[in-house]
Amino acid sequence: MSNATCETVRGWIPEYASGRLAPLEATSVRSHLEDCSECRAELDLAMLILASRAEVPAGLARTVRAAVRSDRAHVHRPWWGISAAAVAVLAFGIGMSSDGLEQVESAVPGYAFEIEDGDAWLSDDGLIAGAPDLDALSDEALLQFLDELNVGGAGGGV
Amino acid sequence: MRGDERSDAILSDEELIERARAGDDAALSDLVERHHGAAYRVAFSMLQDDDAAQDVVQDTFIKAFRALGGFRGDSSFRTWVLTIAGNQARGALRKRGRRKETALEDAGPMRSEQKAPDEEAVDVQEAVRARKMLERLPEKQKLSVTLRIEEGLSFKEIGEVIGSSEGAARVNYFHGIRRLRELMQ
Repeated sequence: MSNATCETVRGWIPEYASGRLAPLEATSVRSHLEDCSECRAELDLAMLILASRAEVPAGLARTVRAAVRSDRAHVHRPWWGISAAAVAVLAFGIGMSSDGLEQVESAVPGYAFEIEDGDAWLSDDGLIAGAPDLDALSDEALLQFLDELNVGGAGGGV
Repeated sequence: MRGDERSDAILSDEELIERARAGDDAALSDLVERHHGAAYRVAFSMLQDDDAAQDVVQDTFIKAFRALGGFRGDSSFRTWVLTIAGNQARGALRKRGRRKETALEDAGPMRSEQKAPDEEAVDVQEAVRARKMLERLPEKQKLSVTLRIEEGLSFKEIGEVIGSSEGAARVNYFHGIRRLRELMQ
């Protein structure tokens, strides 16, 4: 049995399963796994999750880059890129009211990051499925919860 | 080589962001290349719909780059992007009205790249079953497990993405793992 505890090994399992753990720690994990069926079961689960990870569609990066370029071209359109129709509208607006210029400028999308109402978690998350509302718990309560899960409060150091 | 100032060295996200702010489109492309996969997996994990997840990834990067001038670097760019992706996916879920019940055969394609040591020994049927069970976890537990195992995020980073403390992210992860093991038995 290695010196690494179950708590430490379980903290390292995601990195070990994906081959990202440093060699020294990986050796320690391998040694621990020889005698610990609980940690082996957790590693097996991590391997299953990794193996069933969704494959990223080919060409998605290209599609995203094109969308970003298109958006930036729209947002950054230089003044000489304004269409003749827009110029006519602008000229008409200036002729009608001094507020016209402000209206045209406000039509350009802003850069501010918008927090949408989608930020809130779904109402059926957690309670119906039996998960506790962890955000309402103190640090002490969270540590106690971790103890109940048999992983301790400082597991893995990540 | 793209651009006269670019070198062969791999640039950090921070360096790419600086260049992107200065108008370097190649830097934006590199950021997309580096992080679109994780954003897709987060979105797909929540939506279970390929088209919707791809839309979320597009919207995520458009929003991120529009707001790049205001990005202070309090969190990593990756964490920031994944947070936006999570928010976008939740917005899409709300618009959908209810969660789509996902049949086993509707699950996303199994990945084929980046095999870890001994992964060839993984039972494909068991992997599909594990994924199905994972989808049944409450949202924060599911995201904590996927972000930790699939993306290698720390609990602090997971907390930022799911809007919880580091401690809550840790509990969500271990609670999710325990429930998954129970479900798999």
